[in-house]
Amino acid sequence: MLIAPALIGFVVFAVYPTLRGIYLSFTDFKVLSPPTWTGLENFQRLLGDQVFWSSLGVTVYFVVLSVVIGMSLSVVTAVVLHRLTSSTVIRGIIILPFLISGVVAATTWSWMLDSQLGIVNQLIEQLTGEPILFLGSRAWAIPSIALISVWKSMGYTAIIVFAGLQTIPPSIYEAGRIDGASELQMFRRLTLPLLRPVLAMVLVLTVIGAFQVFDIVAVTTKGGPANASNVLQMYIYDKAFGQFDFGYGATMSLALFAMLIVITFLQMRLMRASESDTN
Amino acid sequence: MRTKKLIPALAVLAVALPLAACSSGSGGDSADGGTVNWWTWDEKQAVSYKECIAGFEEENPGVTVNISQFGVDDYFTKLTAGFVAGNAPDAFQNSVQFFDAYAKQGQLEPLDGYIADSGYDLGVFNVGVKNWQYTDGKQYALPLDWAGSAIYFNEDMVTAAGYTADDIASMTWNPEDGGTFDDIATHLTIDENGVRGDEPGFDGTKVATYGVGNLGTEDYVGQTTWNPFVSTTGWRLGEPAAWATEFRYDDPDFVKSMEWVRSLSDRGIAPKLGEFTVGDTEQLGSGKVAMSSGGSWSATTFAQLPGVNVGIAPTVLGPDGTTRAMMSNSNGNEIWAGSKNKENAWKWISYMGTEDCQTKAALQSGSFFPSIPGAMDAVAADQLAKGVDLSVFVDAAKNGCIYPAYPSANGSEMGTTIQPLFEAYFTHERDDDVFPEMAETSKTILAG
Repeated sequence: MLIAPALIGFVVFAVYPTLRGIYLSFTDFKVLSPPTWTGLENFQRLLGDQVFWSSLGVTVYFVVLSVVIGMSLSVVTAVVLHRLTSSTVIRGIIILPFLISGVVAATTWSWMLDSQLGIVNQLIEQLTGEPILFLGSRAWAIPSIALISVWKSMGYTAIIVFAGLQTIPPSIYEAGRIDGASELQMFRRLTLPLLRPVLAMVLVLTVIGAFQVFDIVAVTTKGGPANASNVLQMYIYDKAFGQFDFGYGATMSLALFAMLIVITFLQMRLMRASESDTN
Repeated sequence: MRTKKLIPALAVLAVALPLAACSSGSGGDSADGGTVNWWTWDEKQAVSYKECIAGFEEENPGVTVNISQFGVDDYFTKLTAGFVAGNAPDAFQNSVQFFDAYAKQGQLEPLDGYIADSGYDLGVFNVGVKNWQYTDGKQYALPLDWAGSAIYFNEDMVTAAGYTADDIASMTWNPEDGGTFDDIATHLTIDENGVRGDEPGFDGTKVATYGVGNLGTEDYVGQTTWNPFVSTTGWRLGEPAAWATEFRYDDPDFVKSMEWVRSLSDRGIAPKLGEFTVGDTEQLGSGKVAMSSGGSWSATTFAQLPGVNVGIAPTVLGPDGTTRAMMSNSNGNEIWAGSKNKENAWKWISYMGTEDCQTKAALQSGSFFPSIPGAMDAVAADQLAKGVDLSVFVDAAKNGCIYPAYPSANGSEMGTTIQPLFEAYFTHERDDDVFPEMAETSKTILAG
């Protein structure tokens, strides 16, 4: 009985919407009239929808870039913090971008990256003589959005990794030093293996977060140019809330949900997330 | 025992109360016969139309008006949620983009009966009435405002290039060579070495000031960019004009016009797509652009740019040297079909559609153009006293240079499907073969 508030909240706000979403994915639902059952029609449409598959490709490209760059920078930042300083002020500064609203960060970055008026491009033009269309060209749109995303979320993941580093006993590094290991060897042979459970969790969270990118894209490129940055969430949002095609929107959301389950499962298995090397 | 029973009861109450609070809604208390709830997404219009409430309530004792404003990003989601939950406002501002979706699903009240019963004269409006007639021939909204386009220019740059305001106001255009508009835009362009666009040695890859802002994609109708140009050839987007079954993207005049638009960026006369991430006012304000084709709603913003003297010129004269043409969109004032207060809602929106109310509201902010000529004149006179000359728009409305942005089906899907194709064309990912595809795609979407 004591868990009733949580249970009711879970059922009302999580279980019911999920089941309802699954049901709607099999319907034609325009919101203002009742849903009509269409069976597998939406799924057949999904298979032949070129924009969906192109959006999926764009999203995967974004996920790979933002996760690889984000994880690498986070781990390096956390290790540097761990080895060199115990200042809480620096830790606070590192996490600051995470506290800024996504819309504010994206708007500010889009101004800074403007090829005519942005400060970043003024520097680049002085160095190379040519500005870069960061958000206006097919080649640069997704890498630019990934970098903004990494800038915004890196502090948060770095602090989680940092917390993981603090659980590693100093005696292990002492033993490493006595054995003559260099800093780089200790990082590869000691730090990374011991961090694996934390890294697995961070990886799962960042992959799921990256798959759900929306605000930065909506503010900076709106999916353009020519769908070059039309990530899946943008496409789903547009179908559902722009065109009131909630049935098909639910189908695409369900497909994304299924993909995330598979990816997360694979990640957990491959990284043996539940096991630790400390034993 | 009693405590054991009490805890789950309290728990249920704790969850149910917020839900109940959600369902009562904030602005849509339609059961209250004395209060008309009216929604807008425009914070300036929300304040402006409060000027009319006192007069309305005096004329209609016992009826009160409650105006609510929600940001445009949330507005239509909130409105749609209100339709579903049964607590939408009695009357509201609507955009033509959502006209079809709402009308098709029975959410809008036809106004013909109210108009006939009250003797309301739709002739008070000189623009916008036709924009709100649905496929069933019925009128679903009164026009709230109207908007067109113009050419904004940096007066100092134009003077330095040896032109006058009259030269800009009398620019001609044709799809073959761009007419005098092209000549003037080219001469206004200056590269980083100070060489003008029509002088030997001009470097179109290193431009300090573009002659004109990007005329490429803004939306699938190009209202403030390419449309005022191509419309002078007699081309119109929809076939037929209202509730079109196809969009004429494959028309030879249109294709030729788009080739010319793309050539501007290729030659360095206009910035490339995506070169600026800021809007047209910032581009002109920064001195990076000498002329900009923009919306009438930006007139006061352009006029107030610090350190830049901005002139307003009419859109170009077409190939025949006499035709100007621009499309004009109007937001609509509608009644929700599910309202329990429709009679009073009609009284309120028809009161808003009087010259007295439109004048009061428009003068309050100066941010929108009324669809009633007398009110528009009052706004233009008021703005002129403040240093903003809107005569270009007043003349366009009076001289028949504007034509309605007729509604069509599935506007949102059209935008998200056609715009990427335009972008692919303007970035040279695609060539002229994109236009037949656009025309075919438009048929499918319009039929959907």
